[in-house]
Amino acid sequence: MRIRTAGVVAALGLALAAAGCGGSDGNDEPAAQESAGAAGGKLVIWADDKRTAALKPFADRFGQENGVTVEVQAVSKDLQTNFVTAAQQGSGPDVVVGAHDWIGNLVQNGAIEPVQLAAEQKSAFNETAIKAVTFNGQLYGVPYAQENLALIRNTELAPEAPATIEDLVATGKKLKAEKKVSEILCLQVGQNGDSYHIYPLYTSGGGYLFGTNATGDYDPSDVGVGKPGSIEAFKKIAALGEKGEGVLKRSISDTNSIATFTGKKCAYLASGPWATPDVKKANLSYDISPFPGFAGGQEAQPFVGVQAFYVAAKGKNKALAQEFVANYTTKPDLAVALYEAEPRPPALTAALDQVKAQDPDLAKFAEAGKNGQVLPAIPAMAAIWDPFGKAEAAIIGGADPEKTITAAGKTITGSIK
Amino acid sequence: MTTLTGAAATGRATDEPAGARPGRARRRNRWFAQVGWRHLVGVLAVVFSLFPIVFVFSAALNPLGTLSSTGLVPADGVSFGNFGELFERTPFGRWFLNSLLIAGAASFVSVFLSSLAAYAFSRMRFAGRRVGLLSLLLIQMFPQFLAIVAIFLIFGTITGLWPEIGFNTPWGLLLLYLGGALGVNTWLMKGFFDTLPRELDESATMDGASHAQVFFRIMLPLVAPILAVTGLLAFINTINEFLMANVFLTNSDSKTLAVGMYGMLQGNERNNNFGIFAAATLLTAIPTVLVFQFLQRYIVSGLTSGAVKG
Amino acid sequence: MSTPLSGPGSASRTPGREPAGSRPGRGRTRHDATVSPTGLAIKVVLLGLTAAIAVWAAFPLLEGGHWVGLGLLVVTTAGLFYLYLGRRHVPAKYLVPGTLFLIAFQVLPVLYTASTAFTNFGDGHRGSKDEAVVAIQTASVRQVPGSAEYALTIATTGDPATGPLVFLVTDPGTGTVQVGDADGLRRVDPGDVTVAPGGRVTAAQGYTVLNIGQASARSQEITELVVPTAGGALRSSGLSRAYEGTAVRAYDAGCDCIRDSESGRTWTADDEIGAFVAADGERLAQGWRVTVGLSNFTRVLTDPNISGPFFGTLVWNFAFAIGSTGGTFILGMFIALALHSPRMRGTNVYRVLLILPYAMPSFAMLLVWRDMFNTDFGLINSVFGLGVDWFGDEWTARIAVILVQLWLGYPYMFLVATGALQAIPRELTEATSVDGASPWQSFRAVTLPLLLVALSPLLIASFAFNFNNFNAIYLTTEGAPFPADNPSNGATDLLITYTYRLAFGGQGAEFGFAAAISLFIFTIVALVSAVSFRRTRKQEEVYA
Repeated sequence: MRIRTAGVVAALGLALAAAGCGGSDGNDEPAAQESAGAAGGKLVIWADDKRTAALKPFADRFGQENGVTVEVQAVSKDLQTNFVTAAQQGSGPDVVVGAHDWIGNLVQNGAIEPVQLAAEQKSAFNETAIKAVTFNGQLYGVPYAQENLALIRNTELAPEAPATIEDLVATGKKLKAEKKVSEILCLQVGQNGDSYHIYPLYTSGGGYLFGTNATGDYDPSDVGVGKPGSIEAFKKIAALGEKGEGVLKRSISDTNSIATFTGKKCAYLASGPWATPDVKKANLSYDISPFPGFAGGQEAQPFVGVQAFYVAAKGKNKALAQEFVANYTTKPDLAVALYEAEPRPPALTAALDQVKAQDPDLAKFAEAGKNGQVLPAIPAMAAIWDPFGKAEAAIIGGADPEKTITAAGKTITGSIK
Repeated sequence: MTTLTGAAATGRATDEPAGARPGRARRRNRWFAQVGWRHLVGVLAVVFSLFPIVFVFSAALNPLGTLSSTGLVPADGVSFGNFGELFERTPFGRWFLNSLLIAGAASFVSVFLSSLAAYAFSRMRFAGRRVGLLSLLLIQMFPQFLAIVAIFLIFGTITGLWPEIGFNTPWGLLLLYLGGALGVNTWLMKGFFDTLPRELDESATMDGASHAQVFFRIMLPLVAPILAVTGLLAFINTINEFLMANVFLTNSDSKTLAVGMYGMLQGNERNNNFGIFAAATLLTAIPTVLVFQFLQRYIVSGLTSGAVKG
Repeated sequence: MSTPLSGPGSASRTPGREPAGSRPGRGRTRHDATVSPTGLAIKVVLLGLTAAIAVWAAFPLLEGGHWVGLGLLVVTTAGLFYLYLGRRHVPAKYLVPGTLFLIAFQVLPVLYTASTAFTNFGDGHRGSKDEAVVAIQTASVRQVPGSAEYALTIATTGDPATGPLVFLVTDPGTGTVQVGDADGLRRVDPGDVTVAPGGRVTAAQGYTVLNIGQASARSQEITELVVPTAGGALRSSGLSRAYEGTAVRAYDAGCDCIRDSESGRTWTADDEIGAFVAADGERLAQGWRVTVGLSNFTRVLTDPNISGPFFGTLVWNFAFAIGSTGGTFILGMFIALALHSPRMRGTNVYRVLLILPYAMPSFAMLLVWRDMFNTDFGLINSVFGLGVDWFGDEWTARIAVILVQLWLGYPYMFLVATGALQAIPRELTEATSVDGASPWQSFRAVTLPLLLVALSPLLIASFAFNFNNFNAIYLTTEGAPFPADNPSNGATDLLITYTYRLAFGGQGAEFGFAAAISLFIFTIVALVSAVSFRRTRKQEEVYA
């Protein structure tokens, strides 16, 4: 068959044949509607499922106020990579919502553009949040929520906030001996580790991920994994692992960590603001305190992550996207409403003050994150997650800390260009 | 079919209707040897099959609706709250319809296209036949996650030219799925065409039937069981297809079940939504079971009446 | 094309071709008699539909001036008409419909992907050099230090939809209103404008003010409108604010480099790696896609991280694919045989219950299984009272993933085997049992060979599928357990999950590299499949 000659487009055109049979009249209507809306300008926003639901009412309001169509679309899986791919080929959205640690990758692909905020707009935000979305001296997104780990404890079982991890272990062991709990600490590790949740202990033990350069930015050429500090940290973590105290276990994973806590099977939970709806639903009395570090160790520093709005560089309606991101999402009432849809502390100071009164947890989370480190947004961070997590899991499972973390460090430096 | 056939099929050529009465024990033994062990196998297989599903079932009925609070048996009572919540919180009905439409159309058309090709591969001899067959297989092996970039490229162009069949339309996705119409299913059908005796279509051709008549009037009815099987498999595969649908359908109302449901399990939502997710999983299985029920008579009837002998 | 290949006795057996084969186009009289009116009608309708769709598809191509596309459309449509109106090329008539889709949505993507194996395509190197330059320049636009923030109104001197655009900007400090276009800023007489409390102009004499809806319809023009000023240029930030900004970095075609006007640094284009590189080796993040020849392939062969564990992974990959395919086949076939008896009651119920695993969304069930294997909280350990660290040990993890595949896959084999058993004439099995053969002998002699004829192509296909069964690993163990000293290759890793990690686990996705590894894997699978495929020829000819 000489179909080889009948290349790309012809085949595509023919492909219509089958679709045409299906009935081309059914889809003419939505298409017509779309083009009618486009006359007044259309804004497409991509977000994950949770945020799509929260954003929709506000997007609609923005649309109605300004006579434009706003569509909020959820991309369930691989939002970041799909956004980059789609943006590259011009079929992407105008605005995308995501974590600030995407910025490095989005920028290197030319997928997003800096947002110009006036000085007064900037000053309305929490300083850490602005720092998180600043990359190479440019502001790339408008933050709306900020989050970090803290220690949530069941105050019926553990009335006092532990000052050190050793205190926590002592109380937890006692409770376990009394058969009040089955686990000492609910800190998710999972089969392949969880860098985000182990990070406070890692820093407390003396480890770091990236050094900082003169301007205070993370320096990808100075990787801390595999350095003596990281080995010390993981020796301490190993002592808490399955072959040690049994505090950290691979069987505690993202799927069961929060639930084990709400099921009152452990007195302490290492988690963030996203856990509070569950905890509240479980009807137990709880309190939130900073995640404790090792006795005599350094400060336990959780990662601080920021959720932000970005303007796509190749969006079809960039001016409107900028208007939405720079001048609409910077208003406190939107931030408050987003908080109500999902209780993450707003990045706008005014909004935080407004909701702080009704939700004391927010201030406690903010307190726990005060000494936190902004999650590195440099592209090199992508090389950390997988090897670091696996090394963590292996060490908690009983592998030799020094050997394991040195190998992980080698893998990481090997994949950073 | 007489009783003789029945007994013969099990391999025991016994046709004494009510000869001697050798005692109950022996009869029970015989019953076990002929039928009973089959039930035993069936029951064991069902247990194996249902073990995880019971877990999903109890999660769907679990009033707490969380993953961790779910055991094999619902311990906290039974509630249909998850189902209510499912329809309340998500456009599940819409997803369901989209999936039925896409999976129904895609499986029907692809089985048809596939049977055409399988007929050619099985009954005709032409240059490139075996190479073609092998290529069909190999092309499926290229990792899909890499092809996504190219799919974006192709459908970006299509969306620009013909938005009616571009991104976010069921027709575009249908086209994409038809790209896989020739593939494993073609192999499967070709295998079945191969088992049909040649004499059948040869004699028809002698009688002056055209190749189209041979195909539509003689071959297709004969391979009805396998058409039903491949149709069902294609239906299930399309309903479960996720990777492509995820990049293709971003509009909430245009999503399919797989994409919409995957969204429920994102990140820390996973534990919370597990109840409604399990409910959705169960509901998703319903159309498949119905399609199976509908196709079952074709699967089972098929060639038992000895049509092949001719 | 459709020349009969003289396989063993096959030429004379080709239905529909045999009379016409020797005398192409001559057998008309005889054949015309056999074309039924319905068949003709269907043919006409289908071809008419094809023509209609081709016409529909042609308009956007015409409008956009896509002449190549249009040409291909015409050629394909004409080709289809030629094929289906003529009497020759019978196999093509059956193959072309599916093949067209296959080419468009499978072959082309694969070819495109394979071609990226020779490039550095990946994160940071996705677009062209021009795109990189644009991205670098726009990313370097900074507000001129100490400059004012302006309130902006978009206006036009003509029609809101088409008239030339201007910026009406208000300096909040002084309250002066200026109008700006590509020629620069000019003062506007304060008497001619109405200014709202926030500083924005709401009406101006001689200009029509655009509301946000109207303005957003001309979004691109607004973004492109740059009003030159002394310190840089006035640009819009959205539709209600403007700022005076300047691009700190600019491309200089003379030196083929990017120059930073603040620091004076330059980054020269390196077309071999697709990036702008400074003298000290610093690279700008935004690169572009270049051809790198075979370097992706040599990397696969020389990188010890890849070639080291490659063999072990390959062996396990084969074991996994064979285990999954063979296991599901044997189990599925056994159950199908067991239920295949006219004396069985309730087979219908069994069948429905047995296909349930297949009816459930597989990604969901994989995740459920993953949780069931949890050491402390999993259902399996708690039901059977075990304390096995399933995913923590090499062998238990391997057993676990194959078990999951068995569960997921055997309903498929069961169904297919049931279909196949139905298709085996019962008379054949009867005949052997009348001859006094035991059930096992009759199975070996009659049923199994027939089943294999029908199913062996499927087994090869299933093997190929499982060989690359990404989800089976990715959604369960993710490759675990990993040796402590090598986090990049786990005991249950298949080549495909391993590739995925190598290509996407580092500093962003490396599509080019992933494509190169995929081509390697592809070659291996192709060889194996081709060899086993040769063996099926014998079986095929038994009945063919």
